[in-house]
Amino acid sequence: MARVGVFVCFCGANIADYVDVPMVVEETKKIREVKFAIEYKYMCSDPGQQLIREAIVQHRLTSIVVAACSPRMHEKTFRKALSDAGMNPYLLEVANIREHSSWVHQKDKKAATEKAADLVRMAVAKSIANEQLFEISVPVTKRALVIGGGIAGIQAALDIADARIPVVLVEKSPSIGGKMAQLDETFPTLDCSQCILTPKMVDVASHPYIELIPYSEVIELEGFVGNYKARIKKKASYVNFATCTGCGACWQKCPVKVPNEYNMGIDKRKAIYTPFPQAVPNKPVIDAAYCTMLLKGKCGICAKVCQVGAIDFKMQEEIIEREIGAVVVATGYDLWDPKPYEEYGVGRFKDIITSLEFERMVSANGPTNGLPVRPSDGKIPKNVVFIKCIGSRDEAKGIEYCSKICCMYTTKHTILLHHKVHDSHAYVFYMDIRAAGKGYEEFVKKAQVDTAATYLRGRVSKIYKKEDKLIVRGEDSQIGQVVEVVADLVVLATAVIPPKDNPELARMLGISYDKYGYLSEAHPKLRPVETAKAGIFLAGCTQAPKDIPDTVAQASACAAKVCGLFAGDTMKKDPMISTVNTEFCSGCQNCVQVCPYGAIVTEEVPMGHGSKEMRTVARINEGVCQGCGSCVAVCRSMAISLAGFTDHQIINEIVSI
Amino acid sequence: MITLGLEEKNEILSEVNRRSGANVLECYQCGKCVSTCPVSNYMDYPPRETMQMIKLGLKNELLMANSSWFCLTCSACSGRCPREIDIPAVMEAIRHIAIEENYINDSKKVKEIRKFHEIFLDMVKRYGRNYELRMMAEFNIRTRNLFKDMHLAPKALLKGKIPLGVKPMKSAKAIQRMYKLAEKLDKKHL
Repeated sequence: MARVGVFVCFCGANIADYVDVPMVVEETKKIREVKFAIEYKYMCSDPGQQLIREAIVQHRLTSIVVAACSPRMHEKTFRKALSDAGMNPYLLEVANIREHSSWVHQKDKKAATEKAADLVRMAVAKSIANEQLFEISVPVTKRALVIGGGIAGIQAALDIADARIPVVLVEKSPSIGGKMAQLDETFPTLDCSQCILTPKMVDVASHPYIELIPYSEVIELEGFVGNYKARIKKKASYVNFATCTGCGACWQKCPVKVPNEYNMGIDKRKAIYTPFPQAVPNKPVIDAAYCTMLLKGKCGICAKVCQVGAIDFKMQEEIIEREIGAVVVATGYDLWDPKPYEEYGVGRFKDIITSLEFERMVSANGPTNGLPVRPSDGKIPKNVVFIKCIGSRDEAKGIEYCSKICCMYTTKHTILLHHKVHDSHAYVFYMDIRAAGKGYEEFVKKAQVDTAATYLRGRVSKIYKKEDKLIVRGEDSQIGQVVEVVADLVVLATAVIPPKDNPELARMLGISYDKYGYLSEAHPKLRPVETAKAGIFLAGCTQAPKDIPDTVAQASACAAKVCGLFAGDTMKKDPMISTVNTEFCSGCQNCVQVCPYGAIVTEEVPMGHGSKEMRTVARINEGVCQGCGSCVAVCRSMAISLAGFTDHQIINEIVSI
Repeated sequence: MITLGLEEKNEILSEVNRRSGANVLECYQCGKCVSTCPVSNYMDYPPRETMQMIKLGLKNELLMANSSWFCLTCSACSGRCPREIDIPAVMEAIRHIAIEENYINDSKKVKEIRKFHEIFLDMVKRYGRNYELRMMAEFNIRTRNLFKDMHLAPKALLKGKIPLGVKPMKSAKAIQRMYKLAEKLDKKHL
């Protein structure tokens, strides 16, 4: 006969204030199978666990019930205590009398006590039918998938690969580099963005443990932690990367001109192009939306000039599969379109540009030879007004949150403006200056004192045109007066927003996202790089706006998590999974339909009684099964059973009250 | 309404910085000076606003304001300023520019303060130090308010706070020479 030990916790005052713990113990002692019952102030403490260990030996207990907090908190602690006493850890039951009783019934101690006693009674009844279970070990595919080749993806890929773990890096555009490749200099040290980024890009391309798949997208992910399978769509580039030497003859001769995304549309690129000179891989792709050969079947100049015959107009998109064990999502960010700011004349006045356009202009490899120019007449501006919080912290037109990086990049822009045009003057309209970071406050001081940028505290109310100047009107709330600045150029610091296909990506990966579309971390403070789904991690702005140092730190954190996951050859897994009794299985395959993890397959077994006929039954892949119990619920012939939650156990619980 | 971006150069900023030795651009508008200043309540523009106006180059408003004249030069502000800006020196620079360029705030208070400054400097020039009794008398006469603060006189006299005569300093001559030299330098500079 079962010999059950019951341990009821006070949890300090958390339980004891609202549940009469000694009364629960008295009630419990009335149950026939309970051979030992005791209360203690903190069961999770060392003496509390010692109490369990001693009782197991002294009273020859066969199963243990701990009535305390949620099993999410301390189930592992108590299982460990059981193991230490030489008992199978899965003979433990936790009755949650804190979250399920004391905390929710604080106004009625009598009822809370009765409910606690019931919960304990149920746990005891269930534990009588408990069986010994043993951990399952699952093989791990030691390969990581990194989605997105910006600085976050690059850093994560390099760090993982340096630990000699193979990485598949998938990038949507023809080259890795992301937004950072578009930047001129970086705050607060003003080191050249390209100079610090391109060596890393080259490292990615040449790393023996990194497989770079550019111009591709992940379209499907199935499986579970340690054993995912990703389907990757390689878009048709119409250029055979294996033979292409990147000589550039094709894009020099291509007659079709297209607005250049890399330079924010300020200049043109060709229909066959590499995004920028330092692109990795340095192979061109053909933009099918503009190529006259692909659209009308005429031209083909690129194919004629190509020495190695790498152009292939018949190329089709291709789906490839990779088996992987973990995923790092680093899809970056987009910038908010300032069109709703009609009072600023966005769209009407040519001399209003966004910060990234300004960044491209002052960039050494930019479309204007590194000088800011007025788009209207090509003149070099003298008075430049920078307006911060365009879309950020604006519930009416944009988003509620602070985009975090605009204060600093605008500060950088005032300094860059001063470097490029010595007799210029920068005016900055701001709401707050948020310069929390190493060397950031000093950087703002540099802009305000050394380069004499005039900071005006207030939101701009409107911008209007007077002859060829733009008049920017706002309040300087420092002196409580309305000011108008006669400007040659206006630069809008537009908000950071998540990529618009983030929700779709999140659904595909089975992870959650917030109301803006940022992917959600498992815990905002203690698990900032993990998602709620095991084996999927987040790096960079896809989780929330952040600057380059924070992004790189988070990417390296992801790499540490991936390396930790792959530290052993197998992963231990709880044994609470489903099994099929093939004798009862009718082969209806309802379970196959409902399984959210794709863990159930079918197999053929002999009919029995010496018959040579075969019949179909379900089989559960124990590596994939997560123990959700959906299959148990739909099984008409009650052939499926979930270890640790058998029908016998559940019925025992129900009968006990 | 203030219009910015028309002037080629912010002259008042460079002039104030040159004269005061401070860098007004260092001011980050925290307002500690304003809450420290014992007279900021009476100023047209308390020190923080004065700093911002210098940055914006609002010369006319600055030079016409009473702020610099109300400043007691007590240096409590600069003692507490987190950016260590010598605010009294900035105020003094504004006073000097206002006198030189003939910006006159004709409120009664500012007129009185300016007279006080003149009389005080005159005393120093004559005696090498301040002669309180004469200064008070002259101030009351020149501001046409003969009996101002007269009720305090008996007590102050009895306590010896206001000496009846003045002991000329040994170095009074030297101070007069300094005045002459300063005037000469001033002419040369202008």
